Amino acid sequence: MSKTVTSGGSPLTILHPTSFHIAKGRAVAITGPSGSGKSTLLGLIAGLDAPTTGRISLEGVDITRLSEEQLARLRGERIGIVFQFFHLLPSLTAYENILVPMEIAGVRDAGSRARALLDDVGLGNRGHHYPSQLSGGEQQRVAIARALANDPPIVLADEPTGNLDSVTGRQVIDLLVSINRTRGRTLLLVTHDAELAAFADETIALRDGRVVT
Amino acid sequence: MTGFVVRMAWREMRASWVRLLFFFVCVAIGVAAIILLRSVVQQVRTTLTREARSLVGADLVVQTTRGWTADVRERLSEEFGNAVLDTTEVVETQTMAATPEGRGTGVVRMVELRGIESKFPFYGTLELEGGQRYSHDLVKGFGALAQPEFLVEMGLRVGDELLLAGRPFTLRGVVTRDRVQRAGGIAFGPRIYVDLADLRTTSLIGYGSRATHEILARVNDTDIEPLTERLRRAFRRDVVMVRSWRNLEDRLGRNLTIAENYLSLVGFAIVVLGGIGVWSVTRVLVQQKIRSVAILKCVGATASQVLATYVLQVLWLASAGGLLGLVLAVAGAAAIPASMLKSFSITSVGVTFSAALQGIAVGILVSLLFALVPLLEVRRVKPLLLLRADTATTARRRDWRSWLAAVATTAALALVAIWQAGSVRAGLYVSGGLLVMAAALFLVSHLLVRVSRPLARSPKFALRHAILSLGRPGNQTRVILMAVGLGCFFVLGIRAVQANLIHELTVEVGRNSPDFVLIDIQPDQVAGVTEAITPFARETPRVMPLLRARVVGVDGRRVQLANAEAVRQQGRMTREYGLTFRDAIQTNERLLAGQFWTGSLTTAKTADGFDTEVSIEQEVHDEAHVDVGDVMRFDVAGRPLSARVTSIRKVTWDESHNGGFIFVLRPGPAVERVPHAFVGFLEVQPGPDARVGFQRALVKGYPNVSAIDIREVVRSIREVVDNVTLGITVVGVVMLIGGALILMGAVAMTKFQRLYDAAIYRTLGASTRKLAAMVLVEYGVLGALAGILGAAGAGVLSWLLARYLFEIEWRPAPVLLIAGVLLTALVVSVVGLIASADVLVRKPLRTLRGE
Repeated sequence: MSKTVTSGGSPLTILHPTSFHIAKGRAVAITGPSGSGKSTLLGLIAGLDAPTTGRISLEGVDITRLSEEQLARLRGERIGIVFQFFHLLPSLTAYENILVPMEIAGVRDAGSRARALLDDVGLGNRGHHYPSQLSGGEQQRVAIARALANDPPIVLADEPTGNLDSVTGRQVIDLLVSINRTRGRTLLLVTHDAELAAFADETIALRDGRVVT
Repeated sequence: MTGFVVRMAWREMRASWVRLLFFFVCVAIGVAAIILLRSVVQQVRTTLTREARSLVGADLVVQTTRGWTADVRERLSEEFGNAVLDTTEVVETQTMAATPEGRGTGVVRMVELRGIESKFPFYGTLELEGGQRYSHDLVKGFGALAQPEFLVEMGLRVGDELLLAGRPFTLRGVVTRDRVQRAGGIAFGPRIYVDLADLRTTSLIGYGSRATHEILARVNDTDIEPLTERLRRAFRRDVVMVRSWRNLEDRLGRNLTIAENYLSLVGFAIVVLGGIGVWSVTRVLVQQKIRSVAILKCVGATASQVLATYVLQVLWLASAGGLLGLVLAVAGAAAIPASMLKSFSITSVGVTFSAALQGIAVGILVSLLFALVPLLEVRRVKPLLLLRADTATTARRRDWRSWLAAVATTAALALVAIWQAGSVRAGLYVSGGLLVMAAALFLVSHLLVRVSRPLARSPKFALRHAILSLGRPGNQTRVILMAVGLGCFFVLGIRAVQANLIHELTVEVGRNSPDFVLIDIQPDQVAGVTEAITPFARETPRVMPLLRARVVGVDGRRVQLANAEAVRQQGRMTREYGLTFRDAIQTNERLLAGQFWTGSLTTAKTADGFDTEVSIEQEVHDEAHVDVGDVMRFDVAGRPLSARVTSIRKVTWDESHNGGFIFVLRPGPAVERVPHAFVGFLEVQPGPDARVGFQRALVKGYPNVSAIDIREVVRSIREVVDNVTLGITVVGVVMLIGGALILMGAVAMTKFQRLYDAAIYRTLGASTRKLAAMVLVEYGVLGALAGILGAAGAGVLSWLLARYLFEIEWRPAPVLLIAGVLLTALVVSVVGLIASADVLVRKPLRTLRGE
């Protein structure tokens, strides 16, 4: 796949043709300097954007052929995403933020599962708080719980510790590692954090839109 | 899926209801207006139509201004046959009422006399003060019943004596509620009831006097309509009118339906104004919710689910607004003063179920329609923006769905307008008008931003940045211009029309107008009356003959009307006219065609065999197509009179001190033979003594002659104009309040942008004063432009109404319009400043930290 955008009237390739395969249950780190195309790659895999050429296959499904509605459904059921800036819904409590993906997918007994996920991330007593009442680390843990809400086989994380101090960053790393190791989920991380990248089974390094390793 | 949409909508609303408060206030005002206006009219209709029979006082009324001749009475009794169960007679006329020498306030005033018999009225009753029961004995033997305001004016109490047509009557009761309507025309004073037998003994019912004679009949329900039709057919050649309570019910029903629909349109316009507010709020709401939408899409929500979430929110908010509107309408109904309702024959207003239902339905519908276009934007939000912030500003170009939605919204709004107006034409006019107005405001706002751009180079910091703010991304310039401009347009427009009308009335009672018009002067009284009133007059009173006649035929080149029925069918000359005869044209008349005669006719007939010649007013020529050379036939108090049209005149009605007459006849033996009275025009000397003295002299010597106080008539008309103006001004003020609310909302909506801007300005050294000056100048400019727009529209509206509806000379009202512009600028600046208070006092670091 590749991605070319129009910038200032002329085409700009932000991801050159590239091809790789990630096996089920693996933890992969995508690293590289700013502007190297990491987030673009993650966005393409999440179905948030479409590649200019090529195709992306998730568990045998060619997602480049899916409509926006189908992609949304796919994300809801098969992919969990964690962002650098958490991106929780500010008008909902921590508990409700975790509920949302399950409600969209029409999961039964979503409430007890949301409570269990809150316990899993160590925030069992903070469920009624709004994002603005939580620290950055707590918000990111809520975001991880939300990413796991529908028990997706794939979890994508974009700089998950990029906005946290080292102590809370460490807690988040532990959580993500446990998702991969104990729950067996495929984990794809975009990170600058060498400590986090070190936990990955393999690393894809990008530079100027090309895979260099 | 539905569960998610409902829960999500609820959660979102729970978090932002304070910010959305403005949304449902906008809806509430419009809904309240519709509910209240509709309820009032519905209630008036129910009351009036239910009581139509008591308003007429009978099942059927036959009336004439000519008095009952033996022939008519005989034919009537034949037609009545077995259908009529009972009859009673009433005579209505005007006269001067005075107190005996040295009693009461000494005021002399014109009153409406109603002479009744013992069976009056067949339906309803007269309600008297202090729980006194009405019986005919109260008026029998020169008794009288009068209205409370008359007693106060004359300084009389029950038991006192008063003089009517020179005869003493005793006041025996005070009528507090009188449902029976008068036969027609304008009331010249308070009503007084007397016994018909007593009235007949006065000089008031002489030949040619201004009395209406009525026969009230009680009829079997099933016979009312056939009998009415039968009588109308039988008396179509006579000056006899037949009306039944059923006709009144129909007419009232029709008029009130029109009124209800018109007022509903006014309500609809207010709702649309609220809709603009809704549109503005939704637009900003969507802008603020873009990230939340992207998050939802990221966690699996489809575009339709997200759209449904926000549509549901709008639905709930609109319903809440509708309910608040209902509460406001109920409160508003309770707050209407009883004195205002009295003239509509109702004592209180309750909100009706159907009005409430309609108001809420229109509120919800309009909110949904106005919110739909901005809401469609959520479909275009890309979840990728959570990874790359620059994605948020993807092309703002509208796609075909947005255009389709805009067209569908406009069409749906037009349908709502048609529904509310109860007429396709009126609905289309109103929605077309709103569309044109909106387009004009849209263009003007663009023009404004462009024209004011050079000011952005001003050395004044506040002005420079205020102008830049008008064109900032996400600005509310258009919304504010539209909302405030419309409110301003209504208020100033109505005020300008009122100013024109009042000016016209003032001219009417100006230097050239008489103070009093004396009517019913009998031929043998002319010299005496002139002599009696001359000492009180500024100039010699002008007295001229007056014939009351109907047109019963025209034999012309362009128009052929064989008989009275044909005249009635043509519909241009159906009323009873006041005719005069004289041998010269007057100073307030201009000859347009033909030749005005010189001198009286000396022969019984003209050379071509007609009774006389007639000069017609331009109106008859233009509207009824009568021309020079045509022959007109008149019925003067039952006698035929034929005349050839020899000239066409234009009367300057403003200067009607010589009387304005549509038809003027050439004097001659035939004309002078037909029954006629005289009418006098008089300007009294200044001061109340002359006015009272003249009236007393008149009452004493000539009790049958009535003096109509022109100033009083003008005052009554002015009161009506004032009342109508007040009503429309209230609507305009509601619109202006709506505009101010939208303004506040619009300011609040741009607060987030402003907070950031203000924080940067402060960091760069701007003081609170400087920031306040920027806000004041920005909103001052905006207010002034909205004011100019409204004032220009108001000028055009007043010109159109003056020219085409009232047919009066249009005068611009520059002081009013300039004051309106300045006041609007002031109000908008102050509202803008108050709504921006938070922006001005907030510490910059809080904003920059994103707290």
